[in-house]
Amino acid sequence: MFMKTFEENWTAWLDGKLTGKELDEFKASLPDLTAAELEKENALKLGNLLRKRIGVPEMTNAEFFHHQLRSEIEREQHAAAPAPAGDTVRETWWSIGRLAWTGAASLAIFALCTFFVLRDKDSGGQSAYLTQIINARVDPAVSPDATISIFEAKEDKVTVVWVDGLQSLPSEYAAK
Amino acid sequence: MNRRFLAGFLALTLALGLLASAAAETVWSGLVMADNVPEPTPIPAELTKLESTLKQLFGYNQFQVIGQSRKTLGTGDEDWLAASKYFSLHVDSRGTEGASYLLNLKLFQEQKLLLETEARLSKRSPLVIKGPQVGAGQLVLLLVVE
Repeated sequence: MFMKTFEENWTAWLDGKLTGKELDEFKASLPDLTAAELEKENALKLGNLLRKRIGVPEMTNAEFFHHQLRSEIEREQHAAAPAPAGDTVRETWWSIGRLAWTGAASLAIFALCTFFVLRDKDSGGQSAYLTQIINARVDPAVSPDATISIFEAKEDKVTVVWVDGLQSLPSEYAAK
Repeated sequence: MNRRFLAGFLALTLALGLLASAAAETVWSGLVMADNVPEPTPIPAELTKLESTLKQLFGYNQFQVIGQSRKTLGTGDEDWLAASKYFSLHVDSRGTEGASYLLNLKLFQEQKLLLETEARLSKRSPLVIKGPQVGAGQLVLLLVVE
């Protein structure tokens, strides 16, 4: 047991919690018991007055307040917990913004491809996919009866220059 | 991160496209002797894709390469020669026009010019030229972008 300070004994006496030997010793230690009694009475009056005037306001919607508080706590706990990686990626990738960008990029690539495909087509109606003959000639002095015709074998996209009337040669000219 | 991935993918696609368009192409030029024989030899690999067209056009069952040249075009301004013992095909490339090479072709029988042609050789379309009759066969010139 340790010795109480004067303030502790004073507080306990004001609260009426000092009894027996402690009460007697405390009263004996007071220099002016009458003044102390008067001070105690004033303190008690003040305490009673404060309790009457300043009370804790009673909540009329306590249940609603508690519900809101619990919901907020749950939300914070959920937000603090790390989300699964797959969900994050999916949500981020398929956001509206990304979809718009992906669509725009696809359209741009499509337009680019279309441009190149259309550019390859000849404006004169002859397909640029096929080889074109600008001109073809034989030396009339060497092959006076030669004729040249040009056509396309479209199944293999082959362009053919058909020369008739060239001088025939003996078979030894087939040598490698 | 996904934006970086998308940007990287687009950049890679463009780079591959540019690389593909800038890649050098090879022109195969051949002097081919076509004739009819009882047991024809298999058609050369360079002509495999054109076998049916050649047979249909000329009516022969055998095609043999008697002279050839394979030229890889860099700038498009190159010339080369495909030659057999008696014939030679001189090809002078004078640049590109879109997806085609502008070529000047000269067929010589030894020193004698038999035929001269200017053509836009498409990268997707072979050129076949009927040459002179040789014995019972036919000389055929071919140019193919590989």
